[in-house]
Amino acid sequence: MPSIELEDVYKIFGDEPEIALKLLKEGKGKDKIQAETGQVVGVRGISFTIEDNELFVIMGLSGSGKSTLLRCVNRLVEPTSGKIVLHADGTDYDVVNADSETLRQIRETQMSMVFQNFALFPHRTVIDNVAFGLEIQEVNKKERVRKAKELIEVVGLEGFGDSYPNQLSGGMQQRVGLARGLATGAEILLMDEPFSALDPLIKVQMQDELLDLMEEMQRTILFVTHDLDEALKLGDRITIMEAGKMVQLGNPEQIIVNPKTEYVADFVENADPSDVLRSETVATTSFEPDENNRVRLTESAEVELDSKGRPVQGYFSQTPIEIRSLDELSELNEDVILSTGPDTPISKIMRARLTYATTPVIIVRDGVMIGFVTERNILHGLLEKGREDL
Amino acid sequence: MKPRYRYTSLILVALILTVGFVLLCSQTGYGETLQDKLLGTGGGFIPIEGWITTAVDWMAINFRPLFDVVTIIVNVVNDTIITILRFGDWHYSGVFVFNIFGTVVQIPLLAGLVGLLMWYLSGSIVTGSAGLVMLWLAANFGYWPETIETFSLTLTSAFLALVLGIPTGIFAAINDTADTIIRPILDLMQTMPVFVYLIPAVLFFGIGPAPGAVATVIFAYPPAVRLTNLGIRGVPTELIEAGESFGCNNIQLLTKVQLPVARPNIMAGVNQTIMLALSMAVVAGLVGAGGLGGVVVRGIQRMRVGEGFVGGLVVVFVAMILDRATSNIGQSTTEEA
Ligand SMILES: Nc1ncnc2c1ncn2[C@@H]1O[C@H](COP(=O)(O)OP(=O)(O)OP(=O)(O)O)[C@@H](O)[C@H]1O
Ligand SMILES: [Mg+2]
Repeated sequence: MPSIELEDVYKIFGDEPEIALKLLKEGKGKDKIQAETGQVVGVRGISFTIEDNELFVIMGLSGSGKSTLLRCVNRLVEPTSGKIVLHADGTDYDVVNADSETLRQIRETQMSMVFQNFALFPHRTVIDNVAFGLEIQEVNKKERVRKAKELIEVVGLEGFGDSYPNQLSGGMQQRVGLARGLATGAEILLMDEPFSALDPLIKVQMQDELLDLMEEMQRTILFVTHDLDEALKLGDRITIMEAGKMVQLGNPEQIIVNPKTEYVADFVENADPSDVLRSETVATTSFEPDENNRVRLTESAEVELDSKGRPVQGYFSQTPIEIRSLDELSELNEDVILSTGPDTPISKIMRARLTYATTPVIIVRDGVMIGFVTERNILHGLLEKGREDL
Repeated sequence: MKPRYRYTSLILVALILTVGFVLLCSQTGYGETLQDKLLGTGGGFIPIEGWITTAVDWMAINFRPLFDVVTIIVNVVNDTIITILRFGDWHYSGVFVFNIFGTVVQIPLLAGLVGLLMWYLSGSIVTGSAGLVMLWLAANFGYWPETIETFSLTLTSAFLALVLGIPTGIFAAINDTADTIIRPILDLMQTMPVFVYLIPAVLFFGIGPAPGAVATVIFAYPPAVRLTNLGIRGVPTELIEAGESFGCNNIQLLTKVQLPVARPNIMAGVNQTIMLALSMAVVAGLVGAGGLGGVVVRGIQRMRVGEGFVGGLVVVFVAMILDRATSNIGQSTTEEA
């Protein structure tokens, strides 16, 4: 089910947006328009649909229009033109044309926001900060405090309810920000670089916790970041912005394997692809069984397939050895041929290969062998971000 | 507007003004009298003095009811504060227990209360005791009624300045046009030498505490406006966005985000307003507002150096008490740390 749909959204900062829109149509660039008219192109022609429970990442360099786009969704920034539709509670809201009361209600009940610099209210305790949205919803005090305490526990801040924000570390403050965003029960969470102000260790920890939270609670998240590793780790899908334009939209692997422009390629170059690349993507998929229905994996290792292409037996230097699924590995440290599904990240294969077999890993889908991953495939995947074309 | 247009229109306006001015001057014989004026002989070229005198006279007659209302308000507030401060005298009405001791305990009791209050507000027992000692000294220097008068004139004026100033400040913070208009008016109020409006105040409000209080309100009102405005405008954008993103309406934004966050600034404004009110309440002694200002004025006029000096010293005591009692209020709850 779609949650938010954006269609051709533009934002021009300045008092003569029509002129800028016209120049954009004529194909002039952001810098040129700014120099000529003083109008700043924030975002231009953005369209995409975010699904329910999706974690959708907007990523790009500073000034590329990420925050502007995010703020268009709850209209902290007024879009110049375009359509934004919010599907919630069985209703379709036309966000751009909503009157101020409808907009206020949407903000109160359907969306909440988490900020880069936390934006906690300095005069309120942690509990009162978390309960802020509920206060606006006019929930009674007792219920408010109960709910706030519950969320404070969820984000791991038990015992700090009566502290003031300036008594907490950055990581703790952002937990409060997160709890405040979750407390209203809003389906949609808008997060503008929520972890950028945190130091690297805390940042990774918060990312993991956010993923855990996503498992427990059903939320749709629109997440802004300028950090590709963060985008790859968190995003179900990622859109990459450049100078207000969307240059690519895809899942993490698509971005890594197939960067559409130079700009995206530059980003991807230094990213660590090992958690993103899937086994199927790097595997050798062209193989021919011999007359005994065996497939040669290396000089000394082979597997035998049945008539439907399912692996039934492994051999190492002609000696039969077991085929074991990567996911079922226990403490055993014997020679096996490993098998795994098509979606296993190669980091997991690499880790298994460190401890277990030296033989290639066979990739199966629904029991049928579709390819195998050798050391060479992995190295190629890591260095070239994709499959070796044989 | 594009920058280009902006400059063009500016130059155009300047041109029109210049031409108009030259025409006006040639028509009115400015050239011939210019030398006189520059040398300071003869009156000003623009008869603004006459206009103002006329306006003041006209207002003194036609705005009488308004001025009377203001006088009544000031007197009521002032009398109430005096009555409270002079609770030792309540025995005249035969109601309160203080009448057992009469005025004998009034001063120590009041000094004690002020000391406790300062201790509570500043959080320091040293400040508290200093307050106690200073008030006790002030009383024993022999100017107790005058001290009370100055105290109450200060508090009355500060109270009125704040009641008017804080809402103005809020308005100026929310509305840019209002801010542009209010700003020069505040400059005028703060920099115009006080005697200039102290005298018309007597014309408008007669004698007694009212003209002094009005002049004091004019003098003490700007910092209340400025610091409230500054405080609210200084609230970080992210906090405003946070409020809005949770669905605050404008009133909620003001009461739940802007005012509480601006509180330290507003409280600094309260403190400044009170201090300015005190300094002006003393100057108001010149127009018969009495109090410690009267003591100082009398001392100077009659060449009684001691009397003037003691009056001044008590002013310092009162100033310190008021300052210490109000300068910490802003911090006490925001930074519980
Ligand atoms: N209120 C504004 N008035 C004028 N121009 C603005 C305004 N806000 C943003 N811009 C401009 O719009 C463009 C996009 O800004 P935006 O803040 O969305 O970038 P961003 O991708 O979030 O960058 P960052 O990573 O630095 O936060 C920039 O060129 C910026 O200068
Ligand atoms: Mg940003």
